[in-house]
Amino acid sequence: MTDAAAWSANQPSGLEALRDLRAARRRRYAEQIDWIETLYRLYLGVIFGGLGLALISGALADVRVGRHTIETIHRSGPAALGLLVAIAVAGGLRSGARGGPLVLEAADVQHVLLSPVDRGAALRGLAVRRVRTATFAGLVVGLIAGNFAFRRLPGPPAQWFLCAGVFGAALAASGFASAMVASGRRLHHAAASLLAVLILGWSLIDLIGRRVTSPASMLGQLALWPLHSTGDSFALPAAGLAAAAVAIGFGLSGLAGTSLEAARRRAGLAAQLRFAVTIQDLRAVILLRRQLASETPRSRPWLRLAPGDGPRHAIWQRDWQSFLRWPLVRVVRVCVLGALAGLALVGAWRGTTPLLLVASLALIVAAFDAVEPVGQEVDHPTRLSLLPVGAGDVIRRHLVAPVVMMAGVLIVAVATAIAAGAPGQCVAVLVVMVLPTAILTLCCAALSVTNDPYAYAFAPALGYFQTGLPVALVIIGAGAPALIARQAAHHGGSPVAAAVECELVVLVICRVVIAALRHRTATRFPVRS
Amino acid sequence: MTRSATSSTDSAVLRAEGLRREYDELIALAALDLRVGRGELVALVGPNGAGKTTLLAIAAGLLDPSDGTIQICGAAAGSVAARAETSYIPDTPVFYQDLSLGEHLEYIARLHAAPDWQAHGASLVEQLGLDQWWDKLPTQFSRGMRQKASIALGFIRPFSLLLADEPFDGLDPPSRLVLVEMLRAASAAGAAVIVSTHRTEIADISSRCIALHDGQLVYDGPPDRSVISSGELPVPRQGAGAPGRPRSGTR
Repeated sequence: MTDAAAWSANQPSGLEALRDLRAARRRRYAEQIDWIETLYRLYLGVIFGGLGLALISGALADVRVGRHTIETIHRSGPAALGLLVAIAVAGGLRSGARGGPLVLEAADVQHVLLSPVDRGAALRGLAVRRVRTATFAGLVVGLIAGNFAFRRLPGPPAQWFLCAGVFGAALAASGFASAMVASGRRLHHAAASLLAVLILGWSLIDLIGRRVTSPASMLGQLALWPLHSTGDSFALPAAGLAAAAVAIGFGLSGLAGTSLEAARRRAGLAAQLRFAVTIQDLRAVILLRRQLASETPRSRPWLRLAPGDGPRHAIWQRDWQSFLRWPLVRVVRVCVLGALAGLALVGAWRGTTPLLLVASLALIVAAFDAVEPVGQEVDHPTRLSLLPVGAGDVIRRHLVAPVVMMAGVLIVAVATAIAAGAPGQCVAVLVVMVLPTAILTLCCAALSVTNDPYAYAFAPALGYFQTGLPVALVIIGAGAPALIARQAAHHGGSPVAAAVECELVVLVICRVVIAALRHRTATRFPVRS
Repeated sequence: MTRSATSSTDSAVLRAEGLRREYDELIALAALDLRVGRGELVALVGPNGAGKTTLLAIAAGLLDPSDGTIQICGAAAGSVAARAETSYIPDTPVFYQDLSLGEHLEYIARLHAAPDWQAHGASLVEQLGLDQWWDKLPTQFSRGMRQKASIALGFIRPFSLLLADEPFDGLDPPSRLVLVEMLRAASAAGAAVIVSTHRTEIADISSRCIALHDGQLVYDGPPDRSVISSGELPVPRQGAGAPGRPRSGTR
């Protein structure tokens, strides 16, 4: 028997060894689980999660939409939801070109993928589990969206749950599948980006033309099937689902081509990322996510600033130097987040209150990018401690340029709202919100990046509070003014006046957060005498 | 445990032609031509950042070359056939957190269909002084013990090419001698062995020394202690290797 024949003959035994080991590890892992405790937590999660959702849905009591809006949703909704699918697919393609979506153990890369077993077979089990997890997560999010949709839109609740759930699952699976395709077929970054642009462009054309031609829009039509007319055929939604299934099959079939270099890099970063998540270190999570996405600052800035003189504007200049080195992907992401916040605020103004949550989360994510100069300062505590000025003062001065940046993000939100046909009162309220919301989101992001993840290592409840507080403040500070202004408009009052009153309170909150930031940094990095 | 035969008619176990690897703007390997034959024990030396680890990782199939080709026993590096022939001991030991040393040995031996792995594994751990540690988790070992465990994993399976990246690091002097013996035995059994190291012990057993500097081959000749200790590497001239010394080729 030649060696080549011997390798082929050894393949089954290698795969058998792999199966045996994985089964043994699963058994060992299962033996360590306290099943009673796990089931109890699951039970609590389902009960409280379900109850909370039902209470929130009932308490919001959003009004049912009118005939005109239903017609608009019926015409433009599939393409708009298709754009969401296209964004997920485009993100998946870009992630796959960098080696995603699978995260392997470093030992698996070294010992399994370097052994003469079929890599496709070795990776398939893991990939199927990940697809299953992503699909389940999408299904849950879809069900939650369906729960809100049937309260405002016509159609049987069961149909809304089913269609939204399947859409959510298909959306998540499509994103994951596109990443597997790009990774397994070793798509070059440029090719993946081009393909992503084409897919996004197709969906945009559908949206502008209010048509359903792309598979993404077909999936969007599935989500809105409860609004269908009697003559509508289910062929297009079915074709969308079939396209998602084909993408998954295509992705799974090409797993053997996964780059080991990328797998090794991701293995190391993912281990650190899991640890950072465990200790709720959001700053480390952001930095590691950027490394996973190969998102590095530009070696040549977009614009080179003239050298300054003296300490007067040193921090202001340093911060803009940081922004001017943002990679294109970060610029696009921040703009998209601003646009998403604008659309969500318009949606909330028109009656879908839960969209305030989407707007707040989009703004805080953008603020985490804008607050980078503060993060860099905190990441280098020795440098900060050696400065001849108090650390609190340095951090306060570092907030100015990022606030201007966040104001820019909110201006994108206002522009998007205008483009989306928001009523004049809504636009006026958004304009009032720009500066206070920019200050609040930025200060909260700064509060988050200056958190000490080990401060409450022995008091996890306090740790959760420390991590959740900045996000909660943004949700309240960005959501409450919009909500109160909307209520004022509904009751014949002046929404702008209501918003201004609310924003005064938001500014007081900002003042408190800034004081807390100064105190925290001054305590952590005292000036040496 | 080395393989007795290969399917390739080419006598070179490793053959690289125009091998090049870049990391963004950094050239880690610049158009390297190299042939390593059966039974050769090669000391791969060079200062930090010379490209030694990159070369070994490409040969193991962990990295893709930016340009050029590399074949192991006639098969492209990283292919199933090449993986069956190549054993790679990384510079940083890699283990599963939930497997004991014995379980690691069993797993890797079975993945490679190693015959009689129990007896071979027992002999390996005894040689390396790990026999008391068979049931212990390597992730909890000391640095030196982890290195020994990693060496055991490299030797448990059959191979025609052994790539060892700084295998002496962290080992005490007696263990270094054991490793020297193991490398010599592997080479004597017909395997090609490439050891990246700064240790001069390798000069006594290696049959050839290859030096890299800034990704270029600057020395390829008989083992030389001064070259191995990497303090006296000849600096490459534009477009040429070290004067008067062969650049590449199986000797």
